[in-house]
Amino acid sequence: MATRLQFENCCDIGVFSKLSNAYCLVAIGGSESFYSVFESELANVIPVVKTSIAGTRIIGRMCAGNKNGLLVPHSTTDQELMHLRNSLPDQVVVQRIEERLSALGNCIACNDYVALTHPDLDRETEELIADILGVEVFRQTVAGNILVGSYCLFSNKGGLVHPHTSVEDLDELSTLLQVPLVAGTVNRGSEVIAAGLTANDWTAFCGSDTTATELSVIESVFKLRESQPSMIVNEMRKSLIDSYV
Amino acid sequence: MVQYNFKKITVVPSGKDFIDIILSRTQRQTPTVVHKGYAISRLRQFYMRKVRFTQQNFHEKLSTIIEEFPRLDDIHPFYGDLLHVLYNKDHYKLALGQINTARNIIGKIAKDYVRLLKYGDSLYRCKCLKVAALGRMCTVVKRIGPSLAYLEQIRQHMARLPSIDPNARTILICGYPNVGKSSFINKITRADVDVQPYAFTTKSLFVGHTDYKYLRYQVIDTPGILDRPFEDRNIIEMCSITALAHLRAAVLFFLDISGSCGYSITQQAALFHSIKSLFMNKPLIIVCNKIDLQPLDGLSEEDMKMVTDMKTEAIKTLVAQGGEPNDDGVLLTMSTLTDDGVISVKNAACERLLNQRVEIKMKSKKINDCLNRFHVAIPKPRDDKERPPCIPQAVLETRVKENSDQKRKLEKDLENENGGAGVYSASLRKHYILANDDWKEDLMPEILDGHNVYDFVDPDILNRLEELEREEGLRLEAEENEAEFEMDGNELTAEESEALAEIRKRKSLLIQEHRIKKSTAESRPTVPRKFDKERKFTIKRMGRQLSSLGLNPTAAINRATCKRKRSSTRDGDGDGGNAMDIDVEQVKRRKLRNTRESKLANRHPRDIVPLGIKDSEQARQARKIKWKAEKLRNKAARRGEADRVIPNLKPKHLFSGKRSIGKTQRR
Repeated sequence: MATRLQFENCCDIGVFSKLSNAYCLVAIGGSESFYSVFESELANVIPVVKTSIAGTRIIGRMCAGNKNGLLVPHSTTDQELMHLRNSLPDQVVVQRIEERLSALGNCIACNDYVALTHPDLDRETEELIADILGVEVFRQTVAGNILVGSYCLFSNKGGLVHPHTSVEDLDELSTLLQVPLVAGTVNRGSEVIAAGLTANDWTAFCGSDTTATELSVIESVFKLRESQPSMIVNEMRKSLIDSYV
Repeated sequence: MVQYNFKKITVVPSGKDFIDIILSRTQRQTPTVVHKGYAISRLRQFYMRKVRFTQQNFHEKLSTIIEEFPRLDDIHPFYGDLLHVLYNKDHYKLALGQINTARNIIGKIAKDYVRLLKYGDSLYRCKCLKVAALGRMCTVVKRIGPSLAYLEQIRQHMARLPSIDPNARTILICGYPNVGKSSFINKITRADVDVQPYAFTTKSLFVGHTDYKYLRYQVIDTPGILDRPFEDRNIIEMCSITALAHLRAAVLFFLDISGSCGYSITQQAALFHSIKSLFMNKPLIIVCNKIDLQPLDGLSEEDMKMVTDMKTEAIKTLVAQGGEPNDDGVLLTMSTLTDDGVISVKNAACERLLNQRVEIKMKSKKINDCLNRFHVAIPKPRDDKERPPCIPQAVLETRVKENSDQKRKLEKDLENENGGAGVYSASLRKHYILANDDWKEDLMPEILDGHNVYDFVDPDILNRLEELEREEGLRLEAEENEAEFEMDGNELTAEESEALAEIRKRKSLLIQEHRIKKSTAESRPTVPRKFDKERKFTIKRMGRQLSSLGLNPTAAINRATCKRKRSSTRDGDGDGGNAMDIDVEQVKRRKLRNTRESKLANRHPRDIVPLGIKDSEQARQARKIKWKAEKLRNKAARRGEADRVIPNLKPKHLFSGKRSIGKTQRR
C-alpha cells in the first residue's frame, strides 16, 4: 500500500525520511502531520523516530541503512547518535563512519542483502557497509549517474530505478540485486527516485505529486497490495505508453 | 504545451472609460505647473511631453488588447472554428483591425502635433495645440467605441468557455437533442450538467473528467444536432459540429431507440449518415440509450435494419483506421435511468480510444526512448542464497484485523489538542527503548568539567564495571594476605634496630656533608640590613650565642673577622660589607681609613693608566681612537640629532580654538 504525502509543501519526502524494515526515521518538521502519516502506518510495528542528522532535516540523504544497521555521516553530533541509539532497538547497529562523501543516502542504495555504492567510496567504508549492514557491496552507477542512492530505490521485493536506465542495465542490476526492477519516475516525472519515494517490504510512501500511473507502477514493482511486477507489462502497458510517449 | 485559457484576457474598457483612464493618467503623471515667463523651449517641452505621454498610453492599452485576444489563425483549429461559430470570424477580425488602425492614427496625430509644437511661440499657442492633439486622439477612440464594446462582450463569453484541451484524451458525446447525452455525462463524471426533459437544454459545450486505467479522460457533452443542411444549422448545433470535426476523440453517437425524444430512429439514422464523414478515423460507438423503455430486441424489422446499417458504417470507420473488423463494442445498449450498461459504455469508449492512441504512438519515433520503461527486469539467479522479504509478524496480523482495533492516538491529534503546530512541542525521548522507563527523561549533560560526556560513554560500561570490581576484589584479598604476612615479621631484634639507627645516622651525616659542600660564598648565612636595623647582630653576640649553645665560638669569630678584613681591602668601601662584623671600635678605625681610601676610590677611571700605556695623555688618545673607531657611521643618511630641525612653531594645543570672535572653549 503506497501513501501519498508532503513534507511542508515539498513532495521530496525521501529526503526528509528514511524507511527500512526495522525502523523509520522522520525529519523534525514544523508540525506533526508528516510524522503522523508514518506513525499511523508503522508505529504499531517498528519504531518511528523523529531525528535530525548533522543538524539538518535532510536525513534521508544523509544516512543509509537496513534492518541490520544504520550508517550516519561523520558530521552527526554525539547527541543525535545517542538519540538514535536510544530510540532504535538493540539489534540495529548505529555506526558513525568517517567518509569524505558525507551524504551517505545519496551514495549508498541498499536492501537487507545487497548494496549499490558510489564508485568513489573509501575501501574502509565499503568494508563497514558490508559488516554493519550485512550486505554484499557492489560499486555501480545507475543510468550513468554515480549517485546510486538518489537515482534508485529497492526493497527486498522489487525496485525502481532512473527512467533512462537501458534495458541491458536493468537486467544487469536486477541480477546483481536479485529483485525485479523497473525504470520509472515519481512526483509527476521526477527522475530522482529516492527523493520522491521511500519503501520497505510492506509499505511505501511517495510525494503527493505522484500520478496514479506512477503510483500503480510503484505498487506493482514493490509488490504492495497483492499486485505483481508482471502487471506493468500486461494490464498497464497501454496506459503507460499513452502517458509517457 | 499550449494552454487554452481565455480567462486571463484583461478587461476591455468602453470608449468613454478608455478616454477617462488615459486622460486622467496624463494629468496625474505629467507635470502640471507652467508659467508664461518660462523659456519658450521649456514651454514647448512641457506640452510635447503631455502629447507624447498620452499617445504612449493609448498605444500601450490598445496593443494589449490586440495581443491578448487570440488570433484565430494561430490557435488550434478547434478553437478557431468554435470562436468563428460563436462570434463570427469576420466581425472579430474587423473589430481587432479597427483597434489596430486607431492605434496607428493616434500615433500619427501625436507625431504631427509634436512637430507643430516645435513651432509654438507662446504658452497659449502651445496649450491650444496640446488640447487639439488630445481632442483628436479621444475622438479616434470614441469612434472605435462599438468595437471595444463588442470585444468586451467576447472577452466575457470566452472566459466562460470550458477549458477543453484539444490534444488530451477526449470522449465526445453527440446525437439528436434530448436523447440522454447530458444524463450520461452526469453519470460518468462530476460535471453536473443541467438535464431537462426538453430539446436543447444543453446550449453549449460542457466538459467533465473521468478516470479509466490510471488515466484521465475529458468527456465533452455537445448540444443536440438536428438533421438539416449544414448552412441552416444554428450556432448551438454548430458548436457540436466543430467539436466533432476537430477533436481527435472517441465519439459516442447516442441513439434513442424508444423514440421518446420526439425523433424516430429513421430521423436519427439519417443524421448519422449525413454527419458520418465527421466520424472518420475516430473510434465510434453507437450507443442505444433508454433501453428501459424499449429493449433493443423489441425493435421493429425496419428500425432494426437501420440500426444494423449504422453499425456496419461504424465498423467501416474502424476498418478505415486499420483495426480488424470485429463488431463487439461498436453497438452498445444502456439506460442512464437505471444505470444499466453505463459503465460498460464508458469503458468501451475509453478502451477504444486508448487502443487507437497507443497504436499511433507505437509508430512514432519517441517510443524507442521509452521502451525501457515498459520492461520489467526479472533477476537471473546468481547464487543459491535465499533472500526472503523481512515483514514483521505484526504487519501480517494487523492486515488481518485491519479495521477491528480502534484508531491509535496520533501525534497530530495530540498536537491539535495542545495548541496546534508551533505551540505544541513533542518530546523526542517519548519512544526511547531503554531498560527502565524512568530513565527516559533523565538529564544527560553534554559537557562536564570541560569534557565531552559522550566521549566517555561506553555501551558495555556495566560489564566493565563488574569486571573491574571483580579484579579489585581479588587484589584486596591478596593485599590482606600480604599484610598478615608482614605483621609476623614486624618485631626487630635489638641488634637489628641498632644497625638501622646506625644506617640512618650515617645517611643524615652524608646529607649534611653534601649540603655543606654545596654551599658557596653566596649561600652563606647573612642577615640583611632590613632585619638588622638596630645593628645587634654583631660578632660578639654570635660568640655569646654560640657559647651559650656550648660550642667554641673562636673558629667562627676568626672566620668572620678574617672575611671582613678581606672584603674591606678588596672593595675599598666597607659600607657595602657585612653588617655582622660592625662594632664600635671598628667603626672608629674605619672612618680613619675611609678618608685615606676615598682618594683612591674617587679617582676617575680615565685617570687610571692601564698597563702597557705610558701616561694619561697617551691613554686619552688611545681612548679617542677607540671611540672614533666604535662610532657607527650614518650610512643610510637617516635623520639624526645633528640634523637641523625647526620645531613646530604653532603647536596645536596652544592655538586651536582661539578665535578672534568668541568660542575659545571649543578645542
